[in-house]
Amino acid sequence: MQMEVDTSNDSLVLIKQGAEARVFESNFVGRRSIVKERFSKKYRHPTLDSKLTLKRLNAEARCMTKARRLGVSTPALYAVDPVLHTLTFEFVEGPSVKDIFLEFGLHGVAGERLNDIAVQIGDAIGKLHDGGLVHGDLTTSNMLVRSSTNQLVLIDFGLSFTSTLPEDKAVDLYVLERALISMHSSCGDVMDRILAAYRKSSKQWCSTLNKLAQVRQRGRKRTMIG
Amino acid sequence: MKVYRINDGNTLSLALFDEVNNSKALLDLMQAGTLEPEVAFLNASLVPDVFPLLAAAHKTLVAKSRDSLTTRTLHSELVYNYSGSKHITESLKRCGISDSTTYILAARFNASVDEMKAVAELVNGKEINLEELEGRSNQAQILKHYKISAQELGISSLADAITCRIASRDAL
Repeated sequence: MQMEVDTSNDSLVLIKQGAEARVFESNFVGRRSIVKERFSKKYRHPTLDSKLTLKRLNAEARCMTKARRLGVSTPALYAVDPVLHTLTFEFVEGPSVKDIFLEFGLHGVAGERLNDIAVQIGDAIGKLHDGGLVHGDLTTSNMLVRSSTNQLVLIDFGLSFTSTLPEDKAVDLYVLERALISMHSSCGDVMDRILAAYRKSSKQWCSTLNKLAQVRQRGRKRTMIG
Repeated sequence: MKVYRINDGNTLSLALFDEVNNSKALLDLMQAGTLEPEVAFLNASLVPDVFPLLAAAHKTLVAKSRDSLTTRTLHSELVYNYSGSKHITESLKRCGISDSTTYILAARFNASVDEMKAVAELVNGKEINLEELEGRSNQAQILKHYKISAQELGISSLADAITCRIASRDAL
């Protein structure tokens, strides 16, 4: 009889804490994993709180797996725990696009790498949008590049939802554009390259990009008068 | 056979058999509830890797610890969870064994050495190495059962695609 020796520990190590969730590193049946825990908000009514938390937990799990079905790489989901309000998924080995771009800002832009990443970003968003999925929080810190394959991995689907409206897709792109301008202006015309790739990837690019032009004029929030 | 640690000291023991000729008898024993020791028999051609099964086992143990099993026994729950579907009868039919199954993966939680020996005696077949799982799996059948598209396979391994379905079943 062979015995599988497992020396790894199940302990949780806090990596990040946000307003909605805590993120831990852990081990899931022998693989390095990430645990995202949505904690309860004490200021909310307990019933409402548990309903909202559970709804968002399930929505995130759904959107992540939907993205995969659309051919967009996300961490593999390992477990969903509706009692502890946790999601467990694959630990992706690699830097965030934010770190890569900031590095470019400090030590000069590696044109080819930048282009490769921009194309992958545009392609991934195009696939999501054509499948009717809006990420909702497209920033460079929510994109990782897998070290082993240089493949772009989208993370944090906590604000994702399904929509086919050009408005929602345009706002999704606009949020990314603002994030790029404020964080990575030294990287040059990344957004143009992303949009070029988006155009190739999405069949509905035309209405989305027209809408994007309107959104740029007015900002993310729609005026609600009249 | 191999033993995997799942959580809190619980283990899952796996043994893979080919050329099994008494699956009908095993099925009858199981349905009568007289299978001793209690064990889960899976249609091994749907298992390309142990990892998704370990994820299903984890899910099963968590449900057990909360007394919220959906099916009657711990081991039928494992088969049901592995299927990634909510249809219990269909799950057990497809991911469990049928009269004519010859390629079987046996799984038991917290099994002793003697219990796994008893399992090997129950099954009339040739025990083979678990490394054979990948090569012997039926990819077409897996893709159909789990509804895995070519697009998804472009960015994910088969095992990860199955694991995601097992994990997200109750969130859908």
